[in-house]
Amino acid sequence: MFHCDVVDVAKNKITLEKAQAFIESHKCGASLFFIGTVRDNNNDKTVTGITYDSHDGMVKKSFEEIFDEANKTLQLQHPVAFVEHAKGYVPLGGISVVIAVACKHRAQVYEFSRYIIEEIKKRTPIWKKEHYINEETSWLDGKKIEAK
Amino acid sequence: MKIKIELFGAARDFANDNILELKIENQTNIKGIRENLLQWLQKKHPNNSTYSNIVKNSAFCDENNEIVHDDYLVSKEQKLCIIPPIGGG
Repeated sequence: MFHCDVVDVAKNKITLEKAQAFIESHKCGASLFFIGTVRDNNNDKTVTGITYDSHDGMVKKSFEEIFDEANKTLQLQHPVAFVEHAKGYVPLGGISVVIAVACKHRAQVYEFSRYIIEEIKKRTPIWKKEHYINEETSWLDGKKIEAK
Repeated sequence: MKIKIELFGAARDFANDNILELKIENQTNIKGIRENLLQWLQKKHPNNSTYSNIVKNSAFCDENNEIVHDDYLVSKEQKLCIIPPIGGG
């Protein structure tokens, strides 16, 4: 079972309650929550928030591919995952991403969660514009995407 | 013919609108579209190396949400998206 979405935070919220309700399963004995949040410092600059931009269609496609790959690569038993990423302005301490996973046994949830976030970083078209205390902003450098 | 380029990430700073329109020859490949976009930038933002580097390091995706190779030929009026280097999470 898999749920993914890009959440426009000006209109909706990413909540752990929703993630927990989705991943609950009597077939799973372990669940794990990863929460990405906006921190106050990057490259020696004081950060006040981040605006996330997203190509929603590619992002959802990428999340689905990552879930399928994780399932095959890690040979997961009863995998369940919930992935939501923010789009729009997220203030300091706000949630940028939630990855909630569940599996039959505990060892697999650590691998599963880690696999998803690392692959998102490598290939999912999401961009960050940092906002600083002096009201300046800067798009962060990223990784070039190549055609398959 | 005309094509549309939807802007994302740092490329959003190229224009006030999120979509640019470029005139291209029929059967132009992505490499040619990149050159065309660089020429457009040179007119709008002369000698802006930050913007030109974004274009040089960006991929392009088609209407099926697939990243296309540099030799992909554009033979009809369509929308492409510019995909600058990514870094979410």
